[in-house]
Amino acid sequence: MHDFFHTFFDWSEIAGVLPSLLGEGLRNTLLIAVLAILFGLSGGMLLAVLLLSRKRLVRLPARIYVDVFRGLPAIVTVSLIGLGLPAAGIRPFGRSPLGYAVVAVGLISAAYCAEIFRAGIQAVPAGQMQAGRSLGMSYLKTMRLVIVPQGVRNVLPALTGQFIVDVKESSLVYLLGLGAGQRELYFIAQERQAASYNASALVAAGLCYLAITIPLTYLVNWLDRRMREGRPVRSGAEDLRPEPALAEG
Amino acid sequence: MTTMPGRPAFPDEPFPTDRLRPTSRPAPAHFSPAISVRDLRKSYGRTEVLRGVTFDVTPSEVLCVLGPSGSGKSTMLKCLNLLEKPTAGSIVVGDVTLTDPDVDIDAARTRIGMVFQHFNLFGHLTALDNVTLALRHVKRIPKAEAEQIGRAQLERLGLGQLAGHRPANLSGGQQQRVAIARSLAMRPEVMLFDEATSALDPELVKEVLAVMRELAGSGMTMVVVTHEIGFAREAADRVIFMDEGLIAEDGEARALLDDPPSARFREFLAQVL
Ligand SMILES: Nc1ncnc2c1ncn2[C@@H]1O[C@H](COP(=O)(O)OP(=O)(O)OP(=O)(O)O)[C@@H](O)[C@H]1O
Ligand SMILES: [Mg+2]
Repeated sequence: MHDFFHTFFDWSEIAGVLPSLLGEGLRNTLLIAVLAILFGLSGGMLLAVLLLSRKRLVRLPARIYVDVFRGLPAIVTVSLIGLGLPAAGIRPFGRSPLGYAVVAVGLISAAYCAEIFRAGIQAVPAGQMQAGRSLGMSYLKTMRLVIVPQGVRNVLPALTGQFIVDVKESSLVYLLGLGAGQRELYFIAQERQAASYNASALVAAGLCYLAITIPLTYLVNWLDRRMREGRPVRSGAEDLRPEPALAEG
Repeated sequence: MTTMPGRPAFPDEPFPTDRLRPTSRPAPAHFSPAISVRDLRKSYGRTEVLRGVTFDVTPSEVLCVLGPSGSGKSTMLKCLNLLEKPTAGSIVVGDVTLTDPDVDIDAARTRIGMVFQHFNLFGHLTALDNVTLALRHVKRIPKAEAEQIGRAQLERLGLGQLAGHRPANLSGGQQQRVAIARSLAMRPEVMLFDEATSALDPELVKEVLAVMRELAGSGMTMVVVTHEIGFAREAADRVIFMDEGLIAEDGEARALLDDPPSARFREFLAQVL
């Protein structure tokens, strides 16, 4: 029993690894995750609009993209991009694995975000598009100014789940081999564990992930509430009295 | 000689009445119909919902469209701004042939206001932003000026206090009046209403009908799909009765409503009254 506890909660192990986890590790994990999330959001929004097009030829490539990247195991996608591309001589990020990880996790995230956004946009009543068009706004303008803003509001909570996945998948970059200064949370912990044959560093890394993902949920929930309630308005008691129909213009 | 109040007299003209003689000059453009619909047809798949609808609306005329559920009233109205694409026939609004394949439909729609049964206010925007959105992004009016127009329009409909409210915080009647303000702010030549009061609680119907009545009085050209026979009797110049995708009756409002010529129309009126 003492061994069990010691394997997971060895304070000296944790204290030893903590500085690099909180410094280098957290920085690189957040770097990959945040960039992949931004990549996924913008790519996902673009894909969602394509998925909703009335033209089959526009829909089809987006459909294939989404099906492929949702269907592949993340580990395969990360390897294909992080190991495959450089091997094929395509090295937009030189020898830094972080860039490839951002792209791979971002591409996967875009596929999931696309479906989330599509569902949110489809939940916006058709009358909103009709109202926009009847005022002379084009399809795309109505999408941008009326439909998408309301669609996004519909799916903020669902997006949180995707953000959390992106944070976790950033750890797959370990596959690509990381040099000094490039290591993220999992890589650091895993190196330490291999050296000491003690899992406490992994526990510390796990806590670091939770310190990102759990507050993220509450942050998005808070944002969601704020958007729903809107800016505060003046109290409306005096506004509810009947008013003259059409005052002198 | 008497002159109409508000019109200038013509002291230099020995025979001012010449000016009023219609044959002395070609008819000015506004004598042509505001809306002209010819043999309009619309099918969904194999069902023909509109089976050849023909009518004109003259400028400043208020036309009420009556008819049983499913007779094609909404479909016809949506064809008038091409929210539905006609299968055949022609539609001219003002000087624009909407059914011309090269028509700039977005530009044409800025001249045709539409009010919906369920208001369709933009839920994420305040009343004022609802009114100014198209002013800014279609007419490209700068924000400050658009807001001035928007506030004036809301004020005109008795909504001045509510400019900062979201639709969810407004009553149905207030929402519909904001929707009307949103359309009017674009300065349309024609206004279309699709059962604008059907979704409202009875006590809120009045405030919206009052706005529509005043709008009719101000000379706006209006096509109003409604079940409010009282409104049709008072405010409409003309009534058409649609049945199964065709115009079954078309005539002067009071004459038609007080003395329905066909059994079918009599039956319909008996049901809605
Ligand atoms: N998008 C659509 N696809 C298929 N059929 C449709 C569509 N829209 C309308 N219809 C059909 O067309 C017919 C006419 O519908 P429309 O909405 O124009 O009737 P309406 O006179 O406005 O009826 P109501 O008084 O109930 O509003 C109905 O039978 C309806 O089922
Ligand atoms: Mg209808």
